[in-house]
Amino acid sequence: MIDTSFVGPFLPEIVLLAATLLVFLLDVLGVRRLEIAGAIGVVGVGVAFFLVAADLGFSPIAGFATIPSGQINVGGPTGLYAFTSLGLVFQLIFLTAAFLVGLASLSRPTGERGASIFYGLLTLATLGMLLVAIAADLIFLLLAIELTSISTYLLVAYTRKDGRSLEAAMKFYIVGALSTTLSFFGASLLFGAYGTTNLRAIAGMGSAGVPTLVLLGYGFLIAGLAFKVTLVPFHAWAVDVYDGAPTDVSAFLAGGTKKIGLFAFFLVFLGPILAVKASGASTLPFGTGPFNVGPVLQIALAAAAVLTMTVGNVLALLQKEMKRMLAYSSISQAGYMLIGVTVGTAPAIAGATLQIFAHVLMKGGAFLVVAAVAGVGVGPLITDWRGLGTRRPLLGVAFGLMLLSLAGVPLTIGFVSKFVLFSSAVEAQGWFVWLAVAGLLNSALSVFYYARVLKVMFFDVADPMPTTVPLAAAASSARLAFGGIGVGRAAAIALVAVVIVAVGIYPQLLLGPIQSAAQHFVNVGP
Amino acid sequence: MLPLLSIVLATLLAGTAATFFAGTRARWVALATSSVFAVEVAFLFLSFSGWPGYSSALVPGFSESESYAWIHISWMHVNFTVGVDGISLVLILLTAILQIATVVYSWNETKRPAGYFGLVMLTCLGCFGVFVALDILFFFLFWEAVLVPMFFLIGYWGGPNRRYAALKFFVYTHVASIVMLVGLLALVFYSGASSFDYSAVYAAGHGLSTVVQAFLFLALFFGFGVKFPIVPFHTWLPDAHVEAPTGGSVLLAGLLLKLGGYGLIRWAVFVLPAGFHVDLPVVFFVAFLSIVWGSVVSLAQRDLKRLVAFSSINHMGIVLLAIAVGSSIGLVAAVLLMFAHGIVSALLFMVSGSAHHAFGTRDISAVGGATPTTPALSTFAMAGSLASLGLPALIGFPAEFSALLATWDRLGYWVFIPLGILVVTAAFYLWMMQRMFFGPPRGIPSEAHDVPWFEGAGMGILVVFTVLFGVLPSLLVNVIVASPIKGFPGT
Repeated sequence: MIDTSFVGPFLPEIVLLAATLLVFLLDVLGVRRLEIAGAIGVVGVGVAFFLVAADLGFSPIAGFATIPSGQINVGGPTGLYAFTSLGLVFQLIFLTAAFLVGLASLSRPTGERGASIFYGLLTLATLGMLLVAIAADLIFLLLAIELTSISTYLLVAYTRKDGRSLEAAMKFYIVGALSTTLSFFGASLLFGAYGTTNLRAIAGMGSAGVPTLVLLGYGFLIAGLAFKVTLVPFHAWAVDVYDGAPTDVSAFLAGGTKKIGLFAFFLVFLGPILAVKASGASTLPFGTGPFNVGPVLQIALAAAAVLTMTVGNVLALLQKEMKRMLAYSSISQAGYMLIGVTVGTAPAIAGATLQIFAHVLMKGGAFLVVAAVAGVGVGPLITDWRGLGTRRPLLGVAFGLMLLSLAGVPLTIGFVSKFVLFSSAVEAQGWFVWLAVAGLLNSALSVFYYARVLKVMFFDVADPMPTTVPLAAAASSARLAFGGIGVGRAAAIALVAVVIVAVGIYPQLLLGPIQSAAQHFVNVGP
Repeated sequence: MLPLLSIVLATLLAGTAATFFAGTRARWVALATSSVFAVEVAFLFLSFSGWPGYSSALVPGFSESESYAWIHISWMHVNFTVGVDGISLVLILLTAILQIATVVYSWNETKRPAGYFGLVMLTCLGCFGVFVALDILFFFLFWEAVLVPMFFLIGYWGGPNRRYAALKFFVYTHVASIVMLVGLLALVFYSGASSFDYSAVYAAGHGLSTVVQAFLFLALFFGFGVKFPIVPFHTWLPDAHVEAPTGGSVLLAGLLLKLGGYGLIRWAVFVLPAGFHVDLPVVFFVAFLSIVWGSVVSLAQRDLKRLVAFSSINHMGIVLLAIAVGSSIGLVAAVLLMFAHGIVSALLFMVSGSAHHAFGTRDISAVGGATPTTPALSTFAMAGSLASLGLPALIGFPAEFSALLATWDRLGYWVFIPLGILVVTAAFYLWMMQRMFFGPPRGIPSEAHDVPWFEGAGMGILVVFTVLFGVLPSLLVNVIVASPIKGFPGT
């Protein structure tokens, strides 16, 4: 008999794989209707979501009251994968992003080519993301990232017509290949230094190995993964790609696949940092005592965090186009999330996790609104959004909520996540407090460009309604319902708005389970 | 027990949101909301006077208290905690009265009425929140929620120089509120309190050394003082008042200034008593300066609205003096005076707004002998002036009398400074009445008209309360003392 017990935990991944294959198979057979491919994709992601939620002990009444502690299923001591509760939380975050984008894309124009390819690639990329969340081995992790990356290169170019998209895909691909090369090079150096690629084994060897080799290895890994997370100075590609890609795909890139890079940061760099904390060593790298890579990583990540949030914010201030502004704001948000990795305490990890989830909603939702607004004939410039708040009050309010949440205004999820993140840096004391100060100053700065959009939308005088929208036909078809936005997209946007406010008003809904998951991660390690 | 304060907050929130989206029917929604709010506050007030509910277990010393977990991190708890004691209840009553009076007075606002009434509602919502919040984060949230709508009220509906005035208002008060927030957060983090709740902050503040308390008190004094406004930082007030629409001025003088007084008493005097005593010389000096400066500069004003604005500085100086006296009677007098000034200054700003409508100018010297043309306006102006200068049987008298009594107890003959200034106050109000409304008619435009019904109704509401609480100040005093004032250490 073959032992099949290992299959059970992989059920969500298997569901996604099945959905992917089904969509591609139907495509080959000539069934290319958007509705069918879309239904398979969205249902597949939804089913996977509930399977993961069940693994996390979700019950409809108690919510996530009982997070299973530690590792749920380990593939052996030197295994390739490990199901940790934090990993499962991240799987839920990734699936949320895929679900929102899949739901919204149901409202794409019917005549568009490649609808089935779109959903097949979406589920395939999501499969790669789920694998990232359970990686316990450096090579497994990088391969999972690669699976997602290749799917997304294709996603950017899936329309095959738009020159801008093709150009963006080309840039994305070249930068991605460079990033992969750097990452694998770093991994090979680490293997040379430590003789293993198991993440937990590596984490335990913070002070072992040849320092030069270790530092070089981590340096290349930071650079390679920094491309995925759009850390400054590895960020320049992101704006062009987010700007050139079809807007739904931008939503998936900014709201979804970027986050696998952050979880990779958790897995690769938190291990050594946590090991240092456990050993009680100094948190500054230049003290006496044996060499330890953890504090060096903290300094490097802190510098990257401050640089990223500042540069992202300053450049976002200067943007005139909505998508580019959102792209730069997305870069700056990556800097906030990095604070959590740098500080490396349970509250900080919880704060970063919540910030990542918040960003999925806020930024993913914002790009979905941009797509909706472009669909009704509004141009790419911020000033083209004049009076949208009065012309489309509901859409305006939803977008306003996302911007307020991005700015960190209380009673939105963005405030809660920033509060937890920054206060955890204050709690960690020492020089970490300055990270909180930098984060606060940057948040204050970011208010300007979000408020500017709000002003344009709600206070500037509206242009006459564009006549390109066939309003008369609006009610007749589900795709054109809600004034040309479509049922699927409207539902996705509404869902985002509701969750942003619901978690903002009652944060314990998510904060409790995320905190215990983070605590388990700190206790057990990657 | 019903979560009364949450219910009130929810109705205000729903009403505010509805007003913004009500288009041309906004005034009706605003009126309905403020009426419901008034009824709720009346209920709170009456059930509070009935007493035994006063000792609540949840937050000691506060009745109707509620607390819900908001953000719980392993080492820090943030709760949504609300509750009222006598001080906040009286100021909530003031909020309800001024809200309904403002809505009625502004009935014919035609420039984007939905925005105007929505912002008025939002301002009152924020004030209510400040008065009930017992948690630093929510206190600050509501505090800022007052600032933003007032900025737009001045900046969009104001007079010719409105942009400058709005920006000045925003910069002054925002800088002050940042200092206030830093002071409060420093208080929490420095003392190692594990919660932002008032009870935790209270205990933390009392536990600090006198020196630290003194520094924190100074920061909070500055933060709250700019709202007062205390004299070197008062210059935003006349500009904001002159440019603001009448409704904005009413809320600005009637409510926003009270936020400063309330915050000072609640979050600084009660929390940092030792620091308060160390810093007393500063507070006394600023109080006397504000009293004298506000009054003397009033004398030089030609614009009726500017005159009322500067007299506000003078009156709030007396409030500060009564607080600084530090005895129970002084604190009661301070709260009573804030209530009185809230009603009376609102009335006077309405009078100056109506005078502007009637005569096309607010220049005191340009108009004379207006009583035969505008008898109703003249009556309201007389009522407001008499109440402001402290005529017995009107609300100003018990407040000022007890404030001066408390000052006499503490400072002896120094009381003649505020007393002498009161004479000046009486002088400039009577002089204004004499010039504008009495004597032979002069400079009255032919199209001058008496106040329309809605403006009269708005001012009438305020006159009723001026008389009611002037005759029966015990209605308020009995409530005010149901607060930490009762056990305040005193001199």
